[in-house]
Amino acid sequence: MSDRNMLLDVRGLKMHFPIRTGLFSRARNFIYAVDGVDFQVRKGETLGLVGESGCGKSTAARAIAQLYKPTAGEVYLNGMDLTKAGKQELLAARKNMQMVFQDPYASLNPRMTAGDIIAEPIRIFKKNGLLVASKEEITDRVEQLMEKVGLSRFFRNRYPHEFSGGQRQRIGIARALALNPELILCDEPVSALDVSIQSQILNLFKDLQDEFGLTYLFIAHDLSVIKYISTRVAVMYLGLIVEVADAGDLYKKPLHPYTEALLSAAPIPDPKIEAVRHRIILTGDVPSPDKQRPGCNFYDRCPKRMDVCKKVRPKLKEADSGHQVSCFLYHKPE
Amino acid sequence: MSRKIEKAVNEFNQQMKPVSLWADAWKRLRRNKMALISLWVVGFYALVAVTAPLFSFLDYRTQVIEHANLPPSLRPAGELVIEKLEARHALIKERVDEGMDSLKPEMERIEADIQKAKDELDTNPVNKKVYIFGTDSLGRDMLSKTIYGARISMMVGLVGTLTAVFVGILIGAISGYIGGWLDNLLMRFVDIMYGLPYMLIVIILMAMFRKEGQSSIVILFVGIALVSWLTIARVVRGQIISLKNSEFVEAARSMGASTGRIIFRHLLPNTIGVIIVFTSLSLPSFIMNESFLSFLGIGVSAPLSSWGSLVSEGANTMELYPWQLLAPAIEMTVFLFFMNFLGDGLRDALDPQSKNRT
Amino acid sequence: MSDEVILQVKDLKTYFTVDEGVVKAVDGVSFDLHRGETLGIVGESGSGKSVTNLSVINLIPMPPGKIAGGQVLFHGKNVLAMSSNEIREIRGNKISMIFQDPMTSLNPFLRISTQMVETIQLHQKIDKKAAKAKAIEMLKLAGIPAPEKRIDQYPHQFSGGMRQRVMIAMGLSCNPEILIADEPTSALDVTIQAQILELMQELTRKLGTAVILITHSLGVVAGMCDTICVMYAGRIVERGRTEEIFESPRHPYTQGLIRSVPRLDQETKERLYSIPGQPPNVIDLPDCCPFYPRCEKVMDICRGKYPSVASFENNQSASCWLYAKEAQNV
Repeated sequence: MSDRNMLLDVRGLKMHFPIRTGLFSRARNFIYAVDGVDFQVRKGETLGLVGESGCGKSTAARAIAQLYKPTAGEVYLNGMDLTKAGKQELLAARKNMQMVFQDPYASLNPRMTAGDIIAEPIRIFKKNGLLVASKEEITDRVEQLMEKVGLSRFFRNRYPHEFSGGQRQRIGIARALALNPELILCDEPVSALDVSIQSQILNLFKDLQDEFGLTYLFIAHDLSVIKYISTRVAVMYLGLIVEVADAGDLYKKPLHPYTEALLSAAPIPDPKIEAVRHRIILTGDVPSPDKQRPGCNFYDRCPKRMDVCKKVRPKLKEADSGHQVSCFLYHKPE
Repeated sequence: MSRKIEKAVNEFNQQMKPVSLWADAWKRLRRNKMALISLWVVGFYALVAVTAPLFSFLDYRTQVIEHANLPPSLRPAGELVIEKLEARHALIKERVDEGMDSLKPEMERIEADIQKAKDELDTNPVNKKVYIFGTDSLGRDMLSKTIYGARISMMVGLVGTLTAVFVGILIGAISGYIGGWLDNLLMRFVDIMYGLPYMLIVIILMAMFRKEGQSSIVILFVGIALVSWLTIARVVRGQIISLKNSEFVEAARSMGASTGRIIFRHLLPNTIGVIIVFTSLSLPSFIMNESFLSFLGIGVSAPLSSWGSLVSEGANTMELYPWQLLAPAIEMTVFLFFMNFLGDGLRDALDPQSKNRT
Repeated sequence: MSDEVILQVKDLKTYFTVDEGVVKAVDGVSFDLHRGETLGIVGESGSGKSVTNLSVINLIPMPPGKIAGGQVLFHGKNVLAMSSNEIREIRGNKISMIFQDPMTSLNPFLRISTQMVETIQLHQKIDKKAAKAKAIEMLKLAGIPAPEKRIDQYPHQFSGGMRQRVMIAMGLSCNPEILIADEPTSALDVTIQAQILELMQELTRKLGTAVILITHSLGVVAGMCDTICVMYAGRIVERGRTEEIFESPRHPYTQGLIRSVPRLDQETKERLYSIPGQPPNVIDLPDCCPFYPRCEKVMDICRGKYPSVASFENNQSASCWLYAKEAQNV
C-alpha cells in the first residue's frame, strides 16, 4: 500500500474517559472506550466499522474527528497528525474530513433553515479566511448540493421539522459535502431510518462516492448494511479491533469467534434459511468497558476459549492475505 | 436567474404550507383563551402607558386645592365640590341648631364658599373637569397619577428585567458551555448571592446613593437588577448544559465552529423559548419588588410616582378616601394577574412538550 | 398452530385528532389469530402497527384518539365494548403486552418483585408468598441467573437484554393466551436480540401462547412468524403465510420492501433496489391507494379509489388493483 494512497492512518488510538468522583478528587476509574486501535483507510474505499453497543466505534470516530482529544495515539490525515495539529492547521484539515451523524432529528439545529445548515461549513471557513465566496456563490452551491442529494432546492428556507427523517439525513449529507471533502466519517447514518428509506440513502452514499471519489469510514451495527456498502470491514469489541478483512472474505470466512457469533445472530429475511439456521448463541451480556482485562476481552463469552486467553491479550495479526485477526486460535501468544 | 419559491406540493398533490416554529407557537398561544385575553389586557396597558404623554388632559402634576379628595365620578368636579360643601354645611347646621354657637362662623364661611362655588360653576373651566378615579389630597387627578405611575412601574419592570436577562444569559451561557472550574466558580458566586438578604442590600444601596431631588430610578434599576439575574443565569446554564451534548452541536464542532459561534448561533437560539417565558414571568416580580420599595418610601420619590408609592400614599387615607388606595392597587393587581397568565400561556405555547400537545 | 380462531379483528379504525386534522392511524384493519400462532405485523413508521396493538386491548388515550369503528372479538366477545372491569380481567391475564423499551415500561422506583407479584396477584387468587414463588419460577424460565436474588433488585440494575427477559417473564406469568410484543428487540444488540427471540420462541411454543409480533425487521419476521400482515398507511396491504409472502409477494410494496433490504447471504455488488419517495403523512389522505406515488406499477384507478382485497391460494391476500377483477376490465 503506497503512502500516497493512504488517506487515513490511525495508530494506537486510545480514548479513556475518567469517571470523576467528587468535586476535587482525582479520577480513579476510567471507561476504556477505545483501547488501542490501528487501521488504515485507502483513498476511494469504504472501511466499515461494525460492532455492538459499547464497542467504541462511535467514540473512535469522534476521536478521529478530534471532537474528543485522544488519550493516546496518532491520527494521520493525508500525512498530517491531527492530534498534534495547531488550531488553524486542524481547521484547514477539516476541509477534507467531515461527518454525517446518526440521528436525523438531533443532528440538525432546529432553529436554522436547511440552507443555512448546509452552508455553515462554508461560512465558517470563509470567516476564518480559508476560502473566498460571495453570498450568491454560497447560495448557488447550497442549491447545487441539495439537488445532488435529492432535495428540491425550493426547500432551502424550510426548517428541519418540516422534513421527514430521510430528507433530514439528506440535509446532513449535503452539509458534509459542502467543502468537497475527501473523507467522510459516517456514524450510523441509516440506523434511525425506515427500511425503505435506508436503501435510498445507502444508494445515495454509493452514488456520491462514485461521482466525487469519496472515501468513507462507515459505522453501523447492522451487518448486512455494512456488507453492502463496505470494501473492507473491521469488527470491534470492547474498544479493540478483533478482525479486519475484505467485505466478501469476512462474511464468507469469519475467523474470530465473535465475528462468527455476530454473523450467525444477524437475521436473514428468508424464512427457509432461518428455519434451518444454526445459531451460535452467546451467553451473558455485552460487558461494559469500565475495566481493563489482562487477557482477551472476549474471554467470558467465547465458545472457543482457551486457558491462555485469560492471561494474555492477543494482538491483531495477519492470518490470510489482507485478513487480520486478533485471536490465539490463529497465532501463538508471544 | 429568478429564484422563485414555488408552491410546495407533496406526492398526493396536497399543498404543504411552510410552518415556522414561531407560527406554530403562535397558533398554540391563540388557542389558549386565557392567554389571549391576557395578551389583550397587557397590550392595552402598554399602549396607554406609551401614548399617555400625547394626551394633554392626562395631567398628573396640576394641583387644584379646591378639588382635593373628590370621589370618583362621571359628573363635573364643580358639582361635586358643591355637593361636598353642602354636605358639610348640613352637618354643621345640625350642630348649630342643637346649640353649638361656636360653629356659627364656620357655617357662614361654608355658606360663602358654596355661593362662590355656585357662581364659578360655569365660569371657571377647572370645574368642568371629570375625575374618573377621583383626586388625591392635593387635588391631583388620580387617573393621570395612576397612568403615569403605571409608566414608571412598567418601565422599571421592563428595563430591570431586560438588564437581568442580558447579564444572566451571558453568565449562564459561558458558565454552562465552558464548564469546569469557571462554571464551579460562577455558580458558587451565584449561590452566595442567593444567600444574601437582597432586600437589605437594595435598601442599603438606595440609602447610600440616593441624592435629594435627583431621580432615584437609576439606582433602583441597578439595585434590583443586581440580584435578579441569578435565576436567569441558572436557568440558561441548565438549558445550555442539556443542549451542548446534542448532535447538532457536535456537528458544528466537527466543522470547526468556534465557541462563540456555537453559543450564539446554536445554543442560545434554542434557549430563546425558555428565556422569553422567564422574562414574562420575572417582569411582574420586578414590578412587585419596586412597589414594595416604593411603599417603604425608598423607591421613586415625588414628583414621580409608581404604583408602589401611590399605594403607599393611598394607604394613609384609606378610611376616608378609599379610592386613593383602590385605584392604583386594582390597576396594579389586574396587570400583574394577566401578566402572569400571559407568562403561563407563553410557556405552554413555546414548550414543545406541553400538556396540550398530542 | 391450531385451527381455532381466538382473536378476530374486524375493520378496526382508530383516529387521532391533532391540530392539523384527523390522523387515520388505523383505517380498516382485519385479521384473525389462531391458537398458538405467531403473527407478525410488519410496517414502517406511520404504518399504524403499534396503534393497532394498543387498540386491540383498548389502550388508546381517549382524547386525542378514539376508536372510530370496528370490533375486536376475543373468543367471540367484543373487547372494545367491554366495561373497564371486564377488560381489566383480560389485560395482563389473557392478553399480555410487552414493549420496545423495557426501561420505560418497568417502573424504575419499584423492585421487580413488587411489579411481578402485583401482576400475578391481580389475576390469580393466591397469596403473596405463592405469587413470589411463581415469579421466581418465571424468571428462571426466562433465563435470568440467580432469580431468587435478582428478583428483589431494581430495573436499573439489569442490562437491556436482562430487562427484556424480565418483561417477557412478567408478560407470560399469568399464562396468557395471547402475547403482544411491540418491537421487543429493536433496542437490543444483535447478539442479545438472538437470545431474546430464541427465548420467546421456546417459551411460547412450550406454553402454547399465540403471539402478535410487531416489527420493522423482515429478518426477525422471517425467523419467528407463521403468518405475516404487511401494513402501510394504516391498512393491511398484504397478508399470508410467511413462506408464501417471501417467495411470491403480491403487493408492490411488499415486493419493494423485500428487494430493498440488504442481505447477508447475497453476493451483491449490484445496486440495492429502493422504493422511491417516502411513507405518507397520514393526515387527510385522499381516497386512493396510499402507495400509488411510490408504485412502479401504478395505474389510473389507483389514484382514485382504495383497492379491494384480492385473495390467492393458501389464505394469502393483497389489496391491490393489479389483481382486483374490476381493474382488469378497465
